[in-house]
Amino acid sequence: MIRESQSFPPFTEEPIKVIGEAGEWLAPFELDLDDEQLKGLYRDMLTGRLADERLIRLQRLGKSSFVAPAAGHEGAQVGVAHALKAGHDWLFPYYRDLSLVLAYGLPAAEFIAQTMGTRADPARGRQMPYHPGSKELNIFTVASPIASHIPPAVGTALAMKLADRSQVTLVSFGDGATSEGDWHAGINLAGAQGAPIVFACQNNGYAISVDLKRQTGSDNIAVKAHAYGMPGYLVDGMDVLASYYVARDVVQRAREGVGPALIEFVVYRYGGHSSADDDSRYRPKQEVESWRRRDPLQRFRRFLERRELWSEDEDLAARDEINEMLAAAVRAAEEAGPVPLEWMFEDVYEELPEFLAKQRDELLG
Amino acid sequence: MATHTMVQAIANTLDSEMARDERVVVIGEDVGKRGGVFLATEKLFDKYGPDRVIDSPLSEAAIIGAALGMSVYGNRPVAEIQFADYVYPGFDQLVSQVAKMRYRSGAMFHAPLVVRMPAGGGVRGGHHHSQNPESHFVHTAGLKVVYPSTPSDAAGLLRSAIRDEDPVVVMEPKRLYRSVREELPGDDHLVPIGKAKVLREGDDVVLISYGGSMAETNKAAAALLEQKISPHVIDLRSLQPWDRTTVLEAVARVGRAVLVSEAPRTVGVMSEVAATIAEEVLDSLLAPPLRVTGFDTPYPYAQDREYLPGPNRILKAVERALSY
Repeated sequence: MIRESQSFPPFTEEPIKVIGEAGEWLAPFELDLDDEQLKGLYRDMLTGRLADERLIRLQRLGKSSFVAPAAGHEGAQVGVAHALKAGHDWLFPYYRDLSLVLAYGLPAAEFIAQTMGTRADPARGRQMPYHPGSKELNIFTVASPIASHIPPAVGTALAMKLADRSQVTLVSFGDGATSEGDWHAGINLAGAQGAPIVFACQNNGYAISVDLKRQTGSDNIAVKAHAYGMPGYLVDGMDVLASYYVARDVVQRAREGVGPALIEFVVYRYGGHSSADDDSRYRPKQEVESWRRRDPLQRFRRFLERRELWSEDEDLAARDEINEMLAAAVRAAEEAGPVPLEWMFEDVYEELPEFLAKQRDELLG
Repeated sequence: MATHTMVQAIANTLDSEMARDERVVVIGEDVGKRGGVFLATEKLFDKYGPDRVIDSPLSEAAIIGAALGMSVYGNRPVAEIQFADYVYPGFDQLVSQVAKMRYRSGAMFHAPLVVRMPAGGGVRGGHHHSQNPESHFVHTAGLKVVYPSTPSDAAGLLRSAIRDEDPVVVMEPKRLYRSVREELPGDDHLVPIGKAKVLREGDDVVLISYGGSMAETNKAAAALLEQKISPHVIDLRSLQPWDRTTVLEAVARVGRAVLVSEAPRTVGVMSEVAATIAEEVLDSLLAPPLRVTGFDTPYPYAQDREYLPGPNRILKAVERALSY
């Protein structure tokens, strides 16, 4: 149950945080998470970070064609994942949501198989890396065009409202997405209909190389919510507990029928936009380094250590375990082998039409 | 027995399908309280309420995108785009999201939705109330496209589209909305998607058309009969998939084909039909397949009637085909 004191004000001047950089608890309310839950948040961030490093290595080895670095986003992504009811709610992620989908429950093996495009990919090798989806978990399969998933997310939320089963939709995107027409089309519909949807923006200050000042005239992303008749929250996305608590509050309100909301998580992307990007062309080294000192994992680890919930030994053990799991996932993806050529022609429609079958037969000879 | 115009047939079909299946919902601009600017959704709002007949904000991206989101959740939405000319703000949703939903997700999700839109010229609407953008949709893998020309086909194809597990774009020839009245077959009348209709058997030339142009094609056929020329007339009805069997059998037998469509000539659907005829039945052809189409211009206001391929232009093409 969310207590009054755990409700957060929208449109704050400064990003909301509940842990300081030294790991000290700052919030006026009592922490209501037990030790297992707290360690679980850290483990999920660590999993995201280690998965990120491994996927970068895989790409450099030529075993995958593309990476969307997510290091630095773990606090916001893991906090949001824990605020939802996986399998009951619906999640509409974007291409950088590695930690989010893993923390939400997507098996690393499925993410990696999709990234490597092998037969183990539940989506049958159809898309480029970093485009996960899950029927079981209600994770809407990622599509590359930025913000194109916003209107569908609102549609699902509308359907949820009609079905009246206390479900919530959460749609995740970056700062660049908020300039696309589809973003405005979707969030406007959500406001007009009072749909149970939470818009979660991970603002890392850059859309590839275009910085926020060139992206929008707005002071920040959260203020845009004013235009659509809903509250906008400004959160320190490098603080996993602030991310969790604000998301939890806002999601619960949506679940109760209060309506949609926008949350902006201020984060920083340590890597480039993608494996094809050279971010030294547009970001000064000192800037990257100063944000490195605000690493969400380090900050939360300091918080846990203050409470004697974590140690160097535990960290090493956790890293070993997670790395072993990731290595096994890579092996499983590789061992499944390549996707059959015929699969290219399936799932265009429910049934394979004659004219397409002919094309397949021409190719297969 | 009561007769119905095409737009009444559409409204009736929506009503009977919404009564039959509670998952069917309608979304678009003015579809609710107003009953649609062409009255295609008349009375649905009073009967089914605002939860199932949704008046959307003015945004085709929101309409089509929301229809997708509702369909993956379990509904069967019928989205209305007020004029085909206005589909473009929602084009990315249709092409990037809807068309590729099943394929990109490995069939984890699919999009059983319908997008219907009034299309075609001859209504003095100029650039943006007259277009036939069907080529864009036929060219997009994952979409089905239908284009009826009669009230009963409009009903039967819309019903098939609503019950189809794939996304279907339904083009409706607006200048024929109220021009013809027909008795409608019952509430389970289905026209299969992908099946053309032979309107008249004939031996001298095959006339193939769809949508609004069927009216002019039928007039041309009547004129040919008076000249003792025997036309074989085919209404394609479906554009993706289109009925290759019916077309190729007829053209192989008769040897001459005239393809009529008011959409602009270059890369119009009839280009696809002509190329297929040439590839598959060249040995049987007595003349090249000839297209009679709209011109490669934006749709004009002042020359509305001249733009459309009328009976005279069709007859000229038939003459040319017969003279080979």
